[in-house]
Amino acid sequence: MESVIRNRHITRELNRREGADAPLMNLTQAKVNTEYVIKEIRTNDKELKDFLFTLGCYEGETVTVISVLADNYIISVKDARYSIDKDLTNVIII
Amino acid sequence: MSAGENIRVALAGNPNSGKTTLFNALTGRLEHVGNWAGVTIEKKEGELKKSLNKTNKNITVVDLPGAYSMSPFTSEESITSDYVRNEKPDVIINIVDATNLSRSLFFTTQLLELEVSVVVALNKSDLTKKKKTRIDVKMLSELLGCPIVETVSTKSSDNGLEELVSTVISVKSNKQVAPFDSKGMNASERSSVEAYDKKRYEFVKEIVSKVEHRQISSNKQTRQDAADRILAHKWLGIPIFAAIMWMVFSISQVYLGPLLADILGGWIDAFYAWVEGLLGEGVSPVLSAILLDGIIGGVGAVVGFLPLIMVLFFLLALLEDCGYMARVAVVMDRFFKKVGLSGKSIIPMIIGTGCGVPGIMATRTIKNDRQRRTTAMLTPFMPCGAKLPIIALFAGVFFDDAAWVGTAMYFMAIGIIIVGALLIQRITGDKHTRSFFIMELPEYRFPSIKRATISMFSRAKAFIIKAGTIILLSNAIVQIMQTFDWKFQVVAEGAESTSILASIASPFAILLIPLGFGAWQLAAASITGFIAKENVVGTLAVVYGITNFIDTEEFVLMSDGVGVAGALGLTSVAALAYLMFNLFTPPCFAAIGAMNSEMEDRKWLWGGIAFQFSMGYVVAFITYHIGTLTTAGFVGTGFIPGLIVVAAMIGYVAYLVKRGNEKAERKLAHSV
Repeated sequence: MESVIRNRHITRELNRREGADAPLMNLTQAKVNTEYVIKEIRTNDKELKDFLFTLGCYEGETVTVISVLADNYIISVKDARYSIDKDLTNVIII
Repeated sequence: MSAGENIRVALAGNPNSGKTTLFNALTGRLEHVGNWAGVTIEKKEGELKKSLNKTNKNITVVDLPGAYSMSPFTSEESITSDYVRNEKPDVIINIVDATNLSRSLFFTTQLLELEVSVVVALNKSDLTKKKKTRIDVKMLSELLGCPIVETVSTKSSDNGLEELVSTVISVKSNKQVAPFDSKGMNASERSSVEAYDKKRYEFVKEIVSKVEHRQISSNKQTRQDAADRILAHKWLGIPIFAAIMWMVFSISQVYLGPLLADILGGWIDAFYAWVEGLLGEGVSPVLSAILLDGIIGGVGAVVGFLPLIMVLFFLLALLEDCGYMARVAVVMDRFFKKVGLSGKSIIPMIIGTGCGVPGIMATRTIKNDRQRRTTAMLTPFMPCGAKLPIIALFAGVFFDDAAWVGTAMYFMAIGIIIVGALLIQRITGDKHTRSFFIMELPEYRFPSIKRATISMFSRAKAFIIKAGTIILLSNAIVQIMQTFDWKFQVVAEGAESTSILASIASPFAILLIPLGFGAWQLAAASITGFIAKENVVGTLAVVYGITNFIDTEEFVLMSDGVGVAGALGLTSVAALAYLMFNLFTPPCFAAIGAMNSEMEDRKWLWGGIAFQFSMGYVVAFITYHIGTLTTAGFVGTGFIPGLIVVAAMIGYVAYLVKRGNEKAERKLAHSV
């Protein structure tokens, strides 16, 4: 019984670590048509971060890449479509 | 409530939720609308239409620019929040895009906290049905604590507007209780605001999950997405845009436009003859010349192009309405970003195709000073409505109404803007700054003939008003200056070069010799173009005594047996150079004024004007000499002096670029 609990504990700990060590992906590496949860908006540009927030693009929310058009990515956030450029796609960590 | 009471109703909502369309429907005004975010830049006021106002109160409707949020720190859309906070309207109509509740209601919950009565207009409710989405309006109304009216502001009947107005009047004095409690928020502290905004989104999410029933998830691929992949494609996007523009020009300048213009031209001719008959023999020839050739001839020449322009505006309005323009912005962004412009720079340029002044004003939303000033400087290169008669005239006279002329001028403008932006970026030494681009892609829809017609007529009205005022006056003055010499003697026939006009314009004409069009008449036309670009056409009509440019017979045969092309004395190449010179020199004074107020910097303003002059000069020089070399096998007149001037201009710009690069390196060294 005790070992089971210990095991669970270990697994949880491992999961946590894996989460920390797993290479973070940004949205450019996302598969098209797959829903991802945003982990972080990684930028020093406060204004940009705030603007993305007002669109509903912030950590914990879901995002889907609809198409990749050269340097622009068409993404679906909340219920709208946006075209964002590659630099911006890079700051969205999933 | 007493009679004659004033009620102020503000329209607020997300960009492209349909505020201005609703505003126009409520007030009967004809403000510019488009199916993309950011069309409205300034607030606009109008009185509620009589047919909708069943009371004796004065109801004023205020249209505000779109906003996503009222949170502190998002100063992006401050006009809206400032207005609502400071001017306290009696009622806010919050236009909510029914297809995107989960984003729109965030703003709604903020509006509900302002202690102003809010009525939600659930707009685009026709689209939700199409998407098989069901919204429980009654429950939504209960959860938000405010009345909701379903509207379709694009429809002219059965659109929910009457119900909206009666709800607004009935709700006027009862303020709702805010459904989301943000009392604990410390508005001056960033982290507190952020925490509360997140909670607010959670709150909205909960509401949406209760009231919205979607059968098709919004992140699934649709036919619209497939269309985007083609229309905004890396390589196909530009040829498609070019093909569409070419079609627009061929319809407006080759087919439908001239057909209508012929009819109008006939009327103008008849009017000319009628006035001529009315004046009779007894009137002094000077007076009749001012009246007939100056006013009727000059204004008539400009107004003669009205049908072509109306057809063009109609087609451009269709393009804006269907949602295509946002895709053009996406296609262009790739190039714009490489030259340091903001993604937002595209919007002023699209607006600038109608008129440069609102285009330049639209740069106001660009935060970065350099990007804003650069955009304000480059927007006037876009051929605006006033430049269209010039394009139409030269395409008609020299290029057999070829649609490629107009299309080429648009793409030439885009090319110049990109080159210009690159140079300015280098000169300012700002080449390491990055900019982000984000653009909401509105849904495609079938463009409305009615809206395009309204847009066409409102632009036509502005055009006619301008023709009847500024252009009329300018042409009368040009005619007088042409008729008299400095001693106020009537200039004798054959001695036209002694007129006031000729003596003023001649020194400038010398500068234009290397460009292939060193005639004082052409210089005079370009100069009057700074008052209003339509004047170029009007002045040409006056100085060459042509009344009707559109009449195809008159193109070929004028009274003295030479065609218009002959009268202007230009080769096709020189004509093209002259056309480009007029399109790509500084804009009219009104646009320069707008540049001044948006740039907020004297140095930038004068630099900008100098840059525009040089650009027009260099482009015309290159066009004329390369064109002459390829068609005739030798360079045109004045090549060497022109080359010296152009080389000096290019050399100076190169020097500035070099200095800017050094500055950029220093900046980079500092930041490392």
